[in-house]
Amino acid sequence: MALFSATIGWLEQGLRYAALRQQAIADNIANADTPGYKAKDVRFQTELERAFRLEAKRTNPKHFSFPNEQNGKIIVTTDTTVSYNHNGNSVDIDQEMSKLAENQIYYNALIERLNGKFTTLKTVIKGGK
Amino acid sequence: MSLFQSLNISASALTAQRLRMDVIASNIANADTTRARLVNGQWEPYRRKMVIIEPRSGSFSGYLQAALGRADGGDGGVRVREIVDDPAPFKLVYDPDHPDASADGYVRLPNVDPLKEMVDLIGATRSYEANVTVLNASKGMLMKALEIGK
Repeated sequence: MALFSATIGWLEQGLRYAALRQQAIADNIANADTPGYKAKDVRFQTELERAFRLEAKRTNPKHFSFPNEQNGKIIVTTDTTVSYNHNGNSVDIDQEMSKLAENQIYYNALIERLNGKFTTLKTVIKGGK
Repeated sequence: MSLFQSLNISASALTAQRLRMDVIASNIANADTTRARLVNGQWEPYRRKMVIIEPRSGSFSGYLQAALGRADGGDGGVRVREIVDDPAPFKLVYDPDHPDASADGYVRLPNVDPLKEMVDLIGATRSYEANVTVLNASKGMLMKALEIGK
Protein backbone atom coordinates (compact mmCIF):
# COMPACT_ATOMS: atom_id res chain seq x y z
CA MET A 1 0.00 0.00 0.00
CA ALA A 2 2.98 2.28 0.52
CA LEU A 3 3.38 2.52 -3.24
CA PHE A 4 -0.09 3.95 -3.71
CA SER A 5 -0.32 6.22 -0.61
CA ALA A 6 -2.88 5.70 2.12
CA THR A 7 -5.77 7.34 0.28
CA ILE A 8 -6.93 4.12 -1.35
CA GLY A 9 -7.05 2.44 2.07
CA TRP A 10 -9.15 5.27 3.48
CA LEU A 11 -11.51 5.18 0.55
CA GLU A 12 -11.85 1.44 1.01
CA GLN A 13 -12.65 1.98 4.67
CA GLY A 14 -15.32 4.46 3.64
CA LEU A 15 -16.79 1.97 1.19
CA ARG A 16 -16.96 -0.71 3.90
CA TYR A 17 -18.73 1.77 6.15
CA ALA A 18 -21.22 2.71 3.43
CA ALA A 19 -21.93 -0.93 2.57
CA LEU A 20 -22.56 -1.79 6.22
CA ARG A 21 -24.73 1.30 6.63
CA GLN A 22 -26.74 0.21 3.59
CA GLN A 23 -27.30 -3.12 5.33
CA ALA A 24 -28.51 -1.38 8.50
CA ILE A 25 -30.87 0.88 6.55
CA ALA A 26 -32.23 -2.09 4.59
CA ASP A 27 -32.80 -3.90 7.88
CA ASN A 28 -34.60 -0.91 9.40
CA ILE A 29 -36.92 -0.50 6.43
CA ALA A 30 -37.55 -4.25 6.28
CA ASN A 31 -38.59 -4.17 9.93
CA ALA A 32 -40.63 -0.96 9.69
CA ASP A 33 -43.76 -2.92 10.68
CA THR A 34 -42.19 -5.29 13.21
CA PRO A 35 -43.43 -4.72 16.76
CA GLY A 36 -40.68 -3.90 19.26
CA TYR A 37 -37.95 -3.48 16.65
CA LYS A 38 -35.37 -0.77 17.39
CA ALA A 39 -33.65 1.11 14.58
CA LYS A 40 -29.95 0.55 13.98
CA ASP A 41 -27.29 2.87 12.69
CA VAL A 42 -23.64 2.49 11.81
CA ARG A 43 -20.88 4.87 12.80
CA PHE A 44 -17.16 5.11 12.93
CA GLN A 45 -15.79 4.37 16.34
CA THR A 46 -14.88 7.53 18.23
CA GLU A 47 -11.33 8.58 19.00
CA LEU A 48 -12.03 8.03 22.70
CA GLU A 49 -12.99 4.40 22.19
CA ARG A 50 -9.92 3.89 20.05
CA ALA A 51 -7.72 5.28 22.82
CA PHE A 52 -8.94 2.54 25.17
CA ARG A 53 -8.33 -0.17 22.62
CA LEU A 54 -6.22 -3.17 23.57
CA GLU A 55 -2.88 -3.24 21.81
CA ALA A 56 -0.82 -6.38 21.38
CA LYS A 57 2.67 -6.39 22.93
CA ARG A 58 5.04 -7.03 20.09
CA THR A 59 8.62 -7.98 20.88
CA ASN A 60 9.45 -8.61 17.27
CA PRO A 61 8.35 -6.51 14.31
CA LYS A 62 7.34 -9.73 12.53
CA HIS A 63 4.65 -10.39 15.14
CA PHE A 64 1.10 -9.72 14.06
CA SER A 65 -0.73 -6.92 15.80
CA PHE A 66 -4.36 -7.27 16.79
CA PRO A 67 -6.35 -6.61 13.66
CA ASN A 68 -8.25 -3.72 15.24
CA GLU A 69 -6.98 -1.18 12.78
CA GLN A 70 -8.99 -2.71 9.95
CA ASN A 71 -11.97 -4.20 11.75
CA GLY A 72 -12.60 -2.23 14.90
CA LYS A 73 -13.45 1.17 13.54
CA ILE A 74 -16.96 0.70 12.26
CA ILE A 75 -19.62 -0.25 14.78
CA VAL A 76 -23.34 -0.82 14.70
CA THR A 77 -25.42 1.02 17.27
CA THR A 78 -29.03 0.52 18.27
CA ASP A 79 -31.15 3.42 19.44
CA THR A 80 -33.44 2.10 22.16
CA THR A 81 -34.49 5.44 23.58
CA VAL A 82 -37.17 6.52 21.15
CA SER A 83 -40.26 4.85 19.83
CA TYR A 84 -42.26 6.39 17.00
CA ASN A 85 -44.94 3.78 17.03
CA HIS A 86 -47.35 2.50 19.64
CA ASN A 87 -45.97 -1.03 19.26
CA GLY A 88 -42.46 -0.08 20.39
CA ASN A 89 -40.99 0.22 16.90
CA SER A 90 -38.45 3.02 16.55
CA VAL A 91 -38.09 3.16 12.75
CA ASP A 92 -38.76 6.60 11.27
CA ILE A 93 -39.41 5.66 7.66
CA ASP A 94 -38.89 9.20 6.29
CA GLN A 95 -35.53 9.45 8.01
CA GLU A 96 -34.53 5.99 6.76
CA MET A 97 -35.44 6.84 3.16
CA SER A 98 -33.38 10.05 3.26
CA LYS A 99 -30.48 8.18 4.86
CA LEU A 100 -30.77 5.66 2.02
CA ALA A 101 -30.46 8.38 -0.62
CA GLU A 102 -27.59 10.02 1.23
CA ASN A 103 -25.72 6.74 1.64
CA GLN A 104 -26.11 5.92 -2.04
CA ILE A 105 -24.64 9.25 -3.11
CA TYR A 106 -21.84 8.92 -0.55
CA TYR A 107 -20.99 5.44 -1.85
CA ASN A 108 -21.00 6.60 -5.47
CA ALA A 109 -18.84 9.61 -4.58
CA LEU A 110 -16.28 7.32 -2.93
CA ILE A 111 -16.16 5.14 -6.03
CA GLU A 112 -15.77 8.17 -8.29
CA ARG A 113 -12.86 9.33 -6.10
CA LEU A 114 -11.32 5.86 -6.15
CA ASN A 115 -11.54 5.77 -9.92
CA GLY A 116 -10.00 9.25 -10.05
CA LYS A 117 -7.15 7.98 -7.91
CA PHE A 118 -6.53 5.05 -10.24
CA THR A 119 -6.67 7.32 -13.27
CA THR A 120 -4.04 9.55 -11.68
CA LEU A 121 -1.84 6.53 -11.01
CA LYS A 122 -2.27 5.36 -14.57
CA THR A 123 -1.15 8.78 -15.79
CA VAL A 124 1.94 8.54 -13.61
CA ILE A 125 2.72 5.00 -14.81
CA LYS A 126 2.42 6.04 -18.43
CA GLY A 127 4.66 9.04 -17.78
CA GLY A 128 1.98 11.56 -18.65
CA LYS A 129 1.33 10.09 -22.06
CA MET B 1 -20.04 -8.71 1.32
CA SER B 2 -22.43 -6.37 3.08
CA LEU B 3 -24.15 -5.26 -0.10
CA PHE B 4 -25.26 -8.77 -1.02
CA GLN B 5 -26.57 -9.12 2.51
CA SER B 6 -28.55 -5.90 1.97
CA LEU B 7 -30.22 -7.54 -1.02
CA ASN B 8 -31.11 -10.58 1.12
CA ILE B 9 -32.58 -8.37 3.83
CA SER B 10 -34.78 -6.47 1.38
CA ALA B 11 -35.84 -9.73 -0.28
CA SER B 12 -36.93 -11.18 3.07
CA ALA B 13 -39.05 -8.08 3.66
CA LEU B 14 -40.65 -8.40 0.21
CA THR B 15 -41.57 -12.01 1.03
CA ALA B 16 -43.07 -11.02 4.39
CA GLN B 17 -45.10 -8.13 2.95
CA ARG B 18 -46.39 -10.30 0.12
CA LEU B 19 -47.56 -12.89 2.65
CA ARG B 20 -49.29 -10.12 4.58
CA MET B 21 -51.08 -9.13 1.39
CA ASP B 22 -52.08 -12.75 0.73
CA VAL B 23 -53.56 -13.04 4.22
CA ILE B 24 -55.45 -9.75 3.82
CA ALA B 25 -56.79 -10.98 0.47
CA SER B 26 -57.94 -14.17 2.17
CA ASN B 27 -59.68 -12.18 4.91
CA ILE B 28 -61.53 -9.95 2.45
CA ALA B 29 -62.43 -12.89 0.22
CA ASN B 30 -63.93 -14.70 3.22
CA ALA B 31 -65.71 -11.68 4.71
CA ASP B 32 -69.06 -13.48 4.32
CA THR B 33 -68.02 -17.11 4.77
CA THR B 34 -70.24 -18.77 7.36
CA ARG B 35 -68.99 -22.32 6.88
CA ALA B 36 -65.23 -22.30 7.39
CA ARG B 37 -64.76 -25.02 9.99
CA LEU B 38 -66.88 -27.86 11.32
CA VAL B 39 -66.77 -27.82 15.14
CA ASN B 40 -68.77 -30.54 16.94
CA GLY B 41 -71.01 -31.02 13.94
CA GLN B 42 -71.76 -27.30 13.69
CA TRP B 43 -70.39 -24.89 11.13
CA GLU B 44 -68.27 -22.05 12.43
CA PRO B 45 -67.68 -18.85 10.45
CA TYR B 46 -64.29 -17.83 9.08
CA ARG B 47 -61.97 -16.27 11.62
CA ARG B 48 -59.87 -13.29 10.63
CA LYS B 49 -56.20 -14.23 10.22
CA MET B 50 -53.33 -12.06 11.46
CA VAL B 51 -49.65 -12.23 10.53
CA ILE B 52 -47.00 -11.98 13.23
CA ILE B 53 -43.65 -10.75 11.97
CA GLU B 54 -40.34 -10.62 13.80
CA PRO B 55 -36.70 -9.77 13.04
CA ARG B 56 -34.80 -12.67 11.52
CA SER B 57 -32.09 -14.19 13.70
CA GLY B 58 -30.43 -17.40 14.76
CA SER B 59 -27.85 -18.25 12.10
CA PHE B 60 -24.16 -18.76 12.72
CA SER B 61 -23.10 -15.86 10.51
CA GLY B 62 -25.45 -13.57 12.41
CA TYR B 63 -23.85 -14.42 15.74
CA LEU B 64 -20.36 -14.19 14.23
CA GLN B 65 -21.04 -10.70 12.91
CA ALA B 66 -22.42 -9.75 16.32
CA ALA B 67 -19.31 -11.08 18.05
CA LEU B 68 -17.15 -9.04 15.70
CA GLY B 69 -19.16 -5.95 16.57
CA ARG B 70 -20.39 -5.45 13.03
CA ALA B 71 -24.01 -6.09 13.84
CA ASP B 72 -26.06 -6.36 16.99
CA GLY B 73 -27.16 -9.96 16.65
CA GLY B 74 -29.44 -11.49 14.09
CA ASP B 75 -28.87 -11.78 10.37
CA GLY B 76 -30.95 -8.78 9.53
CA GLY B 77 -34.17 -8.97 7.66
CA VAL B 78 -37.60 -9.97 8.71
CA ARG B 79 -39.59 -13.19 8.78
CA VAL B 80 -43.12 -14.29 9.43
CA ARG B 81 -43.29 -16.08 12.74
CA GLU B 82 -46.83 -17.39 12.43
CA ILE B 83 -50.34 -16.71 11.25
CA VAL B 84 -52.82 -16.55 14.11
CA ASP B 85 -56.60 -16.31 14.37
CA ASP B 86 -58.19 -13.11 15.61
CA PRO B 87 -60.03 -14.06 18.84
CA ALA B 88 -62.53 -11.20 18.45
CA PRO B 89 -66.20 -12.28 18.63
CA PHE B 90 -68.19 -12.98 15.46
CA LYS B 91 -70.63 -10.44 14.10
CA LEU B 92 -74.29 -11.27 14.74
CA VAL B 93 -76.71 -10.30 12.00
CA TYR B 94 -80.47 -10.86 12.06
CA ASP B 95 -81.34 -12.83 8.92
CA PRO B 96 -83.87 -15.61 9.60
CA ASP B 97 -83.87 -16.77 5.95
CA HIS B 98 -80.18 -17.60 5.98
CA PRO B 99 -79.52 -21.38 5.98
CA ASP B 100 -77.07 -21.01 8.87
CA ALA B 101 -79.34 -18.86 11.02
CA SER B 102 -79.83 -20.04 14.58
CA ALA B 103 -83.24 -20.73 16.15
CA ASP B 104 -83.72 -17.07 17.08
CA GLY B 105 -82.91 -15.92 13.53
CA TYR B 106 -79.37 -14.61 14.01
CA VAL B 107 -76.48 -15.52 11.72
CA ARG B 108 -72.88 -15.50 12.92
CA LEU B 109 -70.68 -13.76 10.35
CA PRO B 110 -66.83 -13.64 10.26
CA ASN B 111 -65.08 -11.10 12.49
CA VAL B 112 -63.60 -9.45 9.39
CA ASP B 113 -63.85 -5.68 9.11
CA PRO B 114 -63.24 -4.77 5.44
CA LEU B 115 -62.26 -1.25 6.44
CA LYS B 116 -59.49 -2.52 8.70
CA GLU B 117 -58.32 -4.91 6.00
CA MET B 118 -58.10 -2.12 3.44
CA VAL B 119 -56.00 0.01 5.80
CA ASP B 120 -53.68 -2.96 6.43
CA LEU B 121 -53.50 -3.56 2.69
CA ILE B 122 -52.36 0.00 2.05
CA GLY B 123 -49.74 -0.39 4.79
CA ALA B 124 -48.44 -3.62 3.28
CA THR B 125 -48.35 -2.10 -0.22
CA ARG B 126 -46.41 0.94 0.96
CA SER B 127 -43.91 -1.21 2.87
CA TYR B 128 -43.48 -3.39 -0.20
CA GLU B 129 -42.76 -0.33 -2.34
CA ALA B 130 -40.29 1.06 0.21
CA ASN B 131 -38.41 -2.24 0.20
CA VAL B 132 -38.31 -2.32 -3.60
CA THR B 133 -36.74 1.14 -3.46
CA VAL B 134 -34.08 -0.12 -1.04
CA LEU B 135 -33.44 -3.15 -3.24
CA ASN B 136 -32.92 -0.94 -6.28
CA ALA B 137 -30.61 1.35 -4.29
CA SER B 138 -28.46 -1.60 -3.18
CA LYS B 139 -28.42 -2.94 -6.72
CA GLY B 140 -27.31 0.43 -8.06
CA MET B 141 -24.48 0.53 -5.53
CA LEU B 142 -23.33 -2.97 -6.49
CA MET B 143 -23.34 -2.04 -10.18
CA LYS B 144 -21.36 1.10 -9.33
CA ALA B 145 -18.84 -0.99 -7.40
CA LEU B 146 -18.20 -3.00 -10.57
CA GLU B 147 -16.98 0.20 -12.19
CA ILE B 148 -14.01 0.48 -9.82
CA GLY B 149 -10.80 0.61 -11.82
CA LYS B 150 -12.47 0.94 -15.20
